[in-house]
Amino acid sequence: MLKEDLIKKNPLRLLSPADQGKTGSPQMGLVMARAGLGKTAILVQIALDTMLRGNKVLHVSIGQSLEKTKIWYDDIFRDIAKAVNLERAADIQDELMSQRMIMTFNEESFSVAKLRERLKDLIDQHIFKPDCLLVDGFDCSAAPEKALQEIRELVQGMDINVWFSAVCHRGDDRVSKAGVPAPCHETDGLFDTIILLKPDPVKNCVVLNIIKHGGKFSEGQKNLTLDTSTLLILDN
Amino acid sequence: MQKDLTKVRNIGISAHIDSGKTTLTERILFYTDRIHAIHEVRGKDGVGAKMDSMELEKERGITIQSAATYCSWQDHSINIIDTPGHVDFTIEVERALRVLDGAVLILCSVGGVQSQSITVNRQMSRYKVPRVVFINKCDRTGANPARVTKQVRDKLGLNAVMLQIPIGLEGDLEGVVDLVKMKAIYFDGDSGEKIREAEIPAHMVAEANAKREEMLDAVSMFSDELMEAVLEGEPTEKMIKEAVRKGTLALELAPVFMGSAYKNKGVQCLLDAINLYMPSPMDIKNIALDLKNGEQEVVLTSKPEDPLVCLAFKLEDGRYGQLTYIRNSQGYLKKGDTLINSRTGKKVKVGRLVRMHADEMEEIEESGAGDIVALFGIDCASGDTFTSSDVSLSMSSMHVPNPVISLAIIPVDNKAQVNMSKALNRFTKEDPTFRTYVDHETNETIITGMGELHLDVYIERMKREYGAEVKVGAPQVAYRETITQRAEFNYAHKKQTGGSGQFGRVAGYMEPLAEGEYEFVDNIVGGSIPREFISSCDKGFQKSLEKGALAEFPVSGVRCVINDGAAHAVDSSDIAFQLAAIGAFKEGYKKANPVLMEPIMKVAVEGPTEFQGSIMGSINQRRGIIIGTLEEGDYTVVEAEVPLSEMFGYSTVLRSLTQGKAEFTMEFSDYKQVPKNVAENLIEELRKKKKEQGK
Repeated sequence: MLKEDLIKKNPLRLLSPADQGKTGSPQMGLVMARAGLGKTAILVQIALDTMLRGNKVLHVSIGQSLEKTKIWYDDIFRDIAKAVNLERAADIQDELMSQRMIMTFNEESFSVAKLRERLKDLIDQHIFKPDCLLVDGFDCSAAPEKALQEIRELVQGMDINVWFSAVCHRGDDRVSKAGVPAPCHETDGLFDTIILLKPDPVKNCVVLNIIKHGGKFSEGQKNLTLDTSTLLILDN
Repeated sequence: MQKDLTKVRNIGISAHIDSGKTTLTERILFYTDRIHAIHEVRGKDGVGAKMDSMELEKERGITIQSAATYCSWQDHSINIIDTPGHVDFTIEVERALRVLDGAVLILCSVGGVQSQSITVNRQMSRYKVPRVVFINKCDRTGANPARVTKQVRDKLGLNAVMLQIPIGLEGDLEGVVDLVKMKAIYFDGDSGEKIREAEIPAHMVAEANAKREEMLDAVSMFSDELMEAVLEGEPTEKMIKEAVRKGTLALELAPVFMGSAYKNKGVQCLLDAINLYMPSPMDIKNIALDLKNGEQEVVLTSKPEDPLVCLAFKLEDGRYGQLTYIRNSQGYLKKGDTLINSRTGKKVKVGRLVRMHADEMEEIEESGAGDIVALFGIDCASGDTFTSSDVSLSMSSMHVPNPVISLAIIPVDNKAQVNMSKALNRFTKEDPTFRTYVDHETNETIITGMGELHLDVYIERMKREYGAEVKVGAPQVAYRETITQRAEFNYAHKKQTGGSGQFGRVAGYMEPLAEGEYEFVDNIVGGSIPREFISSCDKGFQKSLEKGALAEFPVSGVRCVINDGAAHAVDSSDIAFQLAAIGAFKEGYKKANPVLMEPIMKVAVEGPTEFQGSIMGSINQRRGIIIGTLEEGDYTVVEAEVPLSEMFGYSTVLRSLTQGKAEFTMEFSDYKQVPKNVAENLIEELRKKKKEQGK
């Protein structure tokens, strides 16, 4: 398969058409799941798709090491390349890696102010101008409204799309009207797209339930699935 | 006399530069009565620490060569291999790791895990070396062993478990609490040689109990017996020690000790730990390759009655000729024995056998499996295997990286010329990553190696040890050429100048080779090229690889396939087919879209967070790709891939950018294609240079 086909056939096209450039205002997305279902895998696939389309990605990883984050990319890219029998995979991978930058923080040292400072550094010095920002491991449980609002403002000015991941906890049953579980049940209005991961024991896979898309809550009709062994997103 | 092998330890001491490795070794030698006074690394007494025996090391305060030294502690024999801390000398580190059974990873209690430690740790994992961690310099301001232990877990991925906690820190460091014995340990006397056990100070009892709980939790994973004992109440000291040893040997646990070598605290406990938790040669699986049996892996036994197998891992030019350090992996070695070098097949006789103590030595009569000793007057190269005559084994060959940088050196006078060749001859034997050749066009001697510092050190050694003064040219990057597409060739070489002529035609194609440097495939059917000339074609192609047509750099990553050709009954010869292959290569190469490749280095820069922006900027200016950054409090690491050619002089730039507060390490990563615009400039420059030389 060629790179162009891979872009066209990516199941993520359900979220954004291939020819979609930047939509007027930057989008903010959220991937929610219980621990261990594959949030990072989904973020990485969103990143790879973004990079394949020629955009630059800044992956902010909180609490995970640089090495591990790199391995996520290498593994997922390898699996995709194998699954679709991608031509010139090594060259494409080299190319993609130059469009990606990883920033890791430990939990204590991350703050929105710091992120703003780093981003400004990168852009002002012409080092790296991301088109998409991924924030993996951000703690949404402790009063996130303010921080999320701040990030929204931050990227609004810079014209960057943002994706977050959030962990839902077993014991916490709070749900928003539209079906967004805690801890983001009160902030679901801030996001344009919300994906909830749920295990499907019957089919032995994980379902990506697209609760909100393009700023509108849907009835959960749009679905994708996640292969549980390779963690690749599949068409339903 | 056969020694009890379970009481032998071969350990390495490996760490980041400046974490106090040499000082620690010095203290170990002092407490084991090998030396009678302590000298500091950068000491004022002019003697210098014992392990840094080369003058250059003394001057720079760094350790370059891994001298092996022997000592004994509580009826155990310990061979210590001091390993260099700088990444440019990784071949030394790796070679030392090959002969080690276990290692002490030293970390500074302030600096913690730095990029160098990560590199060394990765190498140790590759050679499956069990580790204990020693957190040194607990007397320094800002010492925090708990934070360093956490870093060992996070950054090195080791299951680090503290077996001690410090009593006081920084200036107040008094001793340590042993969490296994639940006792406080103090180090009295002028040089901390008197160990005093006492009750844990009252204010630390609660903390010690909590830490002991944590430690037991982690350690009991390795012993059911201990787990039961923990659940029922009182585990014994012996149970804990056995479980720690089991976990450490399985590489699933890294016990953490602490102290300050400089202030003479905690060193004896580390020695106890080496005896208790480090493997003996019996615990380690040594693998050799059976040369008679297609290099099948053979597990060595460490038994004295089996045939002898030993590895020469280090050479040194001593006052009395070549000194060869060997690790005896199996069998028994006696003075007067005859050995076979399995690489050359030559027989050698063991004349003198010595045990090394840095630069002094002790004559011995014999050595058993697991020992590290040195032989005199044996001609061999580093990495050779010696065996007794009845086996044909070779210790697995080590992974030797290709050099990435070269320098021209010109001796200043005749005397220097003679000495220089002596020195080069020696260095190339000692270090497989250091190579040398003469450039036939400029008649200059070229040396190649793994980095600027690597070559610098050899130039210094040439001057000091051999009195060879040389002028040094600007460092050159080892570029390469390769092809990017398949191309056909069909070339006939004809020459008719009276007498017998030359004739040969070679046809086929060349294509990019994903792995490896060169491959030759013979697909000739029907004898269009006679058998005897097939190897001539191969030779011709190989000659062509030496200098590519693009910019005269060596060519790699090419598969040459021949599938047709023609010969003449009288005029075809070896040389005719070689020339035909050279012509064919030239013809195909032009069509195969050749490109220039350059070495890319993996660079890690670490320093205070406030400089992150300027560090990234400096990498960006050097055509570097920033892979990522890591931020922890006010400390940051930037990882990047940067072309080697852009890294010359980076240390000066970095120093001035960051007020000397940041440092960097680099390691060869891969060869990658030079961007088009850069390649064009480069080729243009080379052409100009050629022209000037021609004038």
